[in-house]
Amino acid sequence: MKKIRNPFLLISTVALFISCNKKEEVVAPTIANEALTTVSIILVNTQAPFDKDTATWEQLLDNNGNPLPVDVSKVNVILKANATYTAELLMLDKTQNPFFDVSNEIKNRSNYHLFFYQPLPTTNAFVIPYATGDVLPDPIPDNAQTTAPVSSNPLQLTVNITDHDSNPQTYPVGLQSQFVTGATSSGWLRLVLRHQPNVKNGTYAPGSTDLDIGFTVDIQ
Amino acid sequence: MLCQSGLAQDPCDFTFSGTVIDAASQQVIPEADVYLAELHLAAATDSQGNFVFTDLCEGVYTVRITYLGYQTDSSKITLSKNVYQYFYLQEDIRQIQEIQVTGHKDEQKEILTLPQTEIKGLALQQTRGNTLGEALKTLPGVYTLQSGPSIFKPVIHGLHSNRVLLLNNGVRQEGQQWGSEHAPEIDPFVATQLSVIKGPASIRYGSDAIGGVILVDPAPLPTRPGIGGEVNLVAASNNRMGVTSGIVQGAFEKKLSGLSWRAQGTYRRAGNSKTPNYYLENTGFQEMNFSGALAYKKENYGAELYYSEFNTKLGIFTGTHAETLPDINAAINRSEPITPSYFSYTIDRPYQQVKHDLFKTHVYLKFNNKSRVDVIFARQQNVRSEYDYIPLSGRLNPELYLSLVTHTLDVSYKYAPIKNISGSIGFNGITQGNVRAYEMLIPNFRNYGGGIFAIEKWSKNKLTLEAGVRYDYRWLRAYTLDNNTAQVITPTFNWQNVTGSLGSQYYLKENLSWLINIGTAWRAPTVNELLSNGVHQSAVAYERGNANLTSERAYNFSTSLKYEGDRMTAELDVYNHYINGYIYLKPALSYIHTSRGAFPLFDYTQVNATLRGADVVFTYRLFDSLSFISKTSLLFAYNNTIHDYLQLVPANRFENTLKYNIGKIGKLDHFYISLTDLYMAKQNRVPANSDYTAPPAGYMLINADLGFAFPLGKQRMNISFSANNIFNIVYRDYMDRFRYFNDEPGRNFTLRVRLPFELFNKKNTNN
Repeated sequence: MKKIRNPFLLISTVALFISCNKKEEVVAPTIANEALTTVSIILVNTQAPFDKDTATWEQLLDNNGNPLPVDVSKVNVILKANATYTAELLMLDKTQNPFFDVSNEIKNRSNYHLFFYQPLPTTNAFVIPYATGDVLPDPIPDNAQTTAPVSSNPLQLTVNITDHDSNPQTYPVGLQSQFVTGATSSGWLRLVLRHQPNVKNGTYAPGSTDLDIGFTVDIQ
Repeated sequence: MLCQSGLAQDPCDFTFSGTVIDAASQQVIPEADVYLAELHLAAATDSQGNFVFTDLCEGVYTVRITYLGYQTDSSKITLSKNVYQYFYLQEDIRQIQEIQVTGHKDEQKEILTLPQTEIKGLALQQTRGNTLGEALKTLPGVYTLQSGPSIFKPVIHGLHSNRVLLLNNGVRQEGQQWGSEHAPEIDPFVATQLSVIKGPASIRYGSDAIGGVILVDPAPLPTRPGIGGEVNLVAASNNRMGVTSGIVQGAFEKKLSGLSWRAQGTYRRAGNSKTPNYYLENTGFQEMNFSGALAYKKENYGAELYYSEFNTKLGIFTGTHAETLPDINAAINRSEPITPSYFSYTIDRPYQQVKHDLFKTHVYLKFNNKSRVDVIFARQQNVRSEYDYIPLSGRLNPELYLSLVTHTLDVSYKYAPIKNISGSIGFNGITQGNVRAYEMLIPNFRNYGGGIFAIEKWSKNKLTLEAGVRYDYRWLRAYTLDNNTAQVITPTFNWQNVTGSLGSQYYLKENLSWLINIGTAWRAPTVNELLSNGVHQSAVAYERGNANLTSERAYNFSTSLKYEGDRMTAELDVYNHYINGYIYLKPALSYIHTSRGAFPLFDYTQVNATLRGADVVFTYRLFDSLSFISKTSLLFAYNNTIHDYLQLVPANRFENTLKYNIGKIGKLDHFYISLTDLYMAKQNRVPANSDYTAPPAGYMLINADLGFAFPLGKQRMNISFSANNIFNIVYRDYMDRFRYFNDEPGRNFTLRVRLPFELFNKKNTNN
């Protein structure tokens, strides 16, 4: 091999490298456009307005925008048997300062969104269809929703959506609803938000899932 | 060897010999005509581009070299001793040429003993309007990794992304090429030749290229004084694409002789693609590119400045949006997407917007002893913004923004042959700075890399031996936030390794050559493989990097036989790539729970992999005007560690063409029609439980082409017309990442017009 003119090359390369600015050393904060960290259900007993309950599902993000474990300490919904509650969803993006009210955004874009409430276990047809590959959100155990509704020990809860969008067909939205309880029982509530821009038709199928979370429910 | 003897006078025993070479591709030109005007002597070059005149008298002679499709080279030689000289012919860009699939002997080629194929001339003309990836797909052994109808990444022998190096006008293309949905940011209209080196050409071009190298080469700048150029127009029916591309170039004379320039620009726009049964919403694109070059060339030195800019906005099919596994399964179970089917040029979210600019300067010096030094310095910036699906919040900013600035310096020294040995040595240096915003997909980083190489060739008679060695050093520092403290942390990596290659070329017969190459190459892990940690939305996967990954080490073997007969040409390439520590995404068979649901977890893992296969090209002229062209690409890829197949590897492909060269019809000439049958087998070699669904079925497409040239004033206009997927077959392709969601586009008619022009032309006196 012939003599390599390395010293010259190295010097020129070093010069080249030094001349570069160091913008990469400043790390921009992670901004997730659609971080939905916190969902609360605010329940008020229609017969006894002092009977209130708020359950909160929360999953904060780490500094790189990746999800931390779900905080399940406040996910328990406690309801009285044979009662009717008004329910309202409050959804926050706590990665922003001040906290960003996502439920308000969804209200403004309600023609694109539809919530589904799935009490589990259930003897009724599924509101949220069972899908192959479905993995249930924490804190609901993976065997809580199987291929068909169960025959015994269902959670005695019915959720009726009470708000509607401004599509000509006035489809339901689900930010506001009514929780109707039956006999004493316990189980889980799965909550899914479907994002259905220009394809909302009142059913689950169109669009994609923006939110898929769970609560535990105790009807006492 | 052909030779011609002159008069046998007493002092007339000089020999004049030489080699004729294509200046652009550096390939030898066989059967070029060499004419000594004063003596009325003619000779033709042999298959190695060589010619000899013997028994010549002392004196000054005019040598004229002509070859179809090239500018005639006319020069004076002085014979007072035996003379041997190289002659470089410039391709005449006004001429169109037949497809050339080559792999033959050429001492001037950077790497001789690896199989190399090219698209140029008419074959390239037939791909005009397509992306670079689509254009290369016509070559055996080259496939694409697709993300819908407009994003194509080239795949060589099953390897892609960082394992394939793209050399754009001599500069390594540096974008965010690790991304499977990040297509090369290159306008193919800048090139008059696309070449693919199949195999680890790392030795010359940089350590990453363990899969192969793609060279995008523009024509050399004009030397003939005057101004000329060409306009290309393409219209396609399926996505109602319109493309306009133009080149204007010129050279000066007298005091400014040696100075030349070129300006080039392309505009492409398309709307929604249409499968046989429905339109794909939001699959349009809009692309605007331009480039300019200025060169000053003298006999022994030259300099060139080049600037290019590539801008694209690429719509992504809205029907591919899946946030969760049930979404993706629902999409798989639907016979067609539920997105509305309509045509529009509108591009809405989700889309990608990419800008790539390149500034290059190239200086060279030639010495009298035929050695040469080249220095290339380049700066390129790649700015990528990805806009996801319409967000909840209605915010307008992108989800992902990455800006990568790359500086490269390449120095090579090609020394004058010493007896039978020729070769080159060189240095490649690179530094990159990456800055991100919004989402954290890959972190900010700075890297430095340097490599030195030497490639030597020894030739005697029918045998050439080639050996190369290279050393590389790489350093990478990432800047990212600590998960807990939010302080900037700087994980730092470095790698160093050696690359080696040994090959031979042997002419078994005049028209039958045999190549063998064995080599070893390596690739350092990329930043996404080391440090990514998060949801890859378009893949519905949570991908987790591994900072402990080591370099990939490849051991490659390839051999090829090439026969070039009168009626028949055939080429067989067989290869075996063994990759130690092959990095891929392995399903972890567990889930990460997020507010959107559960995402399957994938970990970057290293295994030992083998990729082996064969590429066969066979051309037979049944009659003078009717030829049969057959291309077969076979590929088998194994994961040796788990004794199973590798995923996302292309299936076997068979392409057969009948081409009828009609020749002249009235005023039209070079009239041809061709019919092509493309069969893509089903990929049965996939590991179990590695995918959301089984690979799609194999498919067969029938395509047809028709083309001709006709005189328009002093110029010749070329028109061609192609029909792809004539029978509007419904199919999906395993190498399309969107195969879960939608069919491939249906029937497509394309009209291509090429119109060369000359605004001002001085008579060509010399060169």
